[in-house]
Amino acid sequence: MREQRLVLAVIGVTALAFLMMPIVIVVPMSFSSAQALTFPPPGLSWRWYDSLFGDPDWMEAVWTSLGIAAISASSALVLGGLAAYGLDRGLQRWRSLAEANFMAPLIVPGVITAVALYFVFAWTGLLGTYLGLVIAHTILAVPLIIIMIGASLRSLDVRIEQVAWSLGASWSQAIGRVVLPTLAPSIVAAWIFAFVTSFDEIIVTSFVAGAQTTVPKKMYEDLILEITPTITAVATLLIGTTVVALGLVHLLLKRGQLPSVQTGPAAGSTHSTQ
Amino acid sequence: MTAHADTLAQTRQFAGGRRNIAGPSADTLRVWPLLILLIALFDLPLLFTLGLSLYGKNGFTLAHYAELLNTPAYLGVMASTLRVSLIATLVNALVGYPLAYWITGLDPRRRGIALACVLLPFWVSILVRTYAWIVVLGNGGLVNRLLQWGGVVDEPISFLYSEVGVTIGMTNVLLPFLVLPLYATMMRIDGRLTQAASSLGASSWTVFWRVFFPLTVPTLAASSLLVFMLSLGFYVTPAILGGGKVAMAGNLLDSLINQIPRWEMAAALAAVLLVITLAIYFAYARLGRWSRA
Repeated sequence: MREQRLVLAVIGVTALAFLMMPIVIVVPMSFSSAQALTFPPPGLSWRWYDSLFGDPDWMEAVWTSLGIAAISASSALVLGGLAAYGLDRGLQRWRSLAEANFMAPLIVPGVITAVALYFVFAWTGLLGTYLGLVIAHTILAVPLIIIMIGASLRSLDVRIEQVAWSLGASWSQAIGRVVLPTLAPSIVAAWIFAFVTSFDEIIVTSFVAGAQTTVPKKMYEDLILEITPTITAVATLLIGTTVVALGLVHLLLKRGQLPSVQTGPAAGSTHSTQ
Repeated sequence: MTAHADTLAQTRQFAGGRRNIAGPSADTLRVWPLLILLIALFDLPLLFTLGLSLYGKNGFTLAHYAELLNTPAYLGVMASTLRVSLIATLVNALVGYPLAYWITGLDPRRRGIALACVLLPFWVSILVRTYAWIVVLGNGGLVNRLLQWGGVVDEPISFLYSEVGVTIGMTNVLLPFLVLPLYATMMRIDGRLTQAASSLGASSWTVFWRVFFPLTVPTLAASSLLVFMLSLGFYVTPAILGGGKVAMAGNLLDSLINQIPRWEMAAALAAVLLVITLAIYFAYARLGRWSRA
């Protein structure tokens, strides 16, 4: 019995170490003073951050990524929010079909979406355009928005809305002054998730981006060509961003008190795999 | 759900008597902008791809599929995709199950830390997670230096640019997809069931295998299917850790589009991969319903 528990603990700790290994390795290496990728780093320095922020190519990639992530998260939020409301409150016929369609970008493997969008973008002249990337990232963010906004709408007591109507509010008044303020924390959380999804996206981007460069695309191309420690600085910043975003979402959802919303694969999210 | 929609409709009728407000049809309309976007820029592109795979010089043809099934190079890639995905799924299940079980037995504070260690990598960019393995597994990397220092091997083992490296990288990325659903299921298991078995004289080994484990099998099966499905579509990890030596379906798609432009073959391969993925997904969805029932 005791031995069994010990063996289990060893397996558990090893597995957790295995999961955390990439993060634990990359962060200290970004502060390395060495030219080559060695772990543990022989000394500490800011040189890789200097070389990152001093490189106009990287800076351009950062601005492109930020812009595309902000626009696509916002458009996915507006369209997805409206659709989630419509699904929850209105649509009766074809409901499950529409819902399945909204989830589809999550289920269809990224490479297949990438290939399909490549063909159609090549045909319509969207290949390698900013707009093309925004459209692709919006589509990829849709399932996440539908899951999160849908869950928060279901947890919202519909009587609150009914009270607004019975007091004579119009739909836009009821939405703008009752529903949106109540759901604000989960709406912001959904936007953050959509933003992170877009900011990390690599598969579809590498197929349809053409000469446009996002942070993951530049990282991927640099990784294939040569491995420079500058990438460890980028990686560390990405990890930092993720930690901050997750922390924010955690706080928001705690404030919004939405037990049904989970921030993991249990919610059906396959964020940036493959 | 339906009950709440009904009350809503009633309220609207009631309110509508005095003031003209949007009815259920207006709510339905709100679904359309997104639906149109997805139909135009997701559904139609997929159908277009399917069409391309079935289109030849003289119209409809199955020639591209025939070529896919008769060319050893394509078959080789499909075989290695299946092999790597199966191994990654198996390793995931073997590591993930004990991990989830161990987390379930921890005290709440440690459980929180352990779950954070599972969730954080899940949200960190796949590129970052894959990249780190180059540093860890490379010839001058951490693992090889440890092995040489310990006198286990003389020459560095080349983990990278082989199926071993790709499998390690993929397992790392996919583990949370198995651990989190299993953990959720294990936490829901009624502790009185195992207590009852123990009080009737069953050993802890018997309690685990005859009572606890069977209750987790549906979730284990469902999440293994999910992991397998996700494995089939992997692209970034094999590209980086396989270094061109391990080709999976995703990488072949990349070559067929960006290097040797043969769009119709890419379309056929994408269609085959899509059909397999959807079949697995439906099995997964069925298992999910079964495990909740």
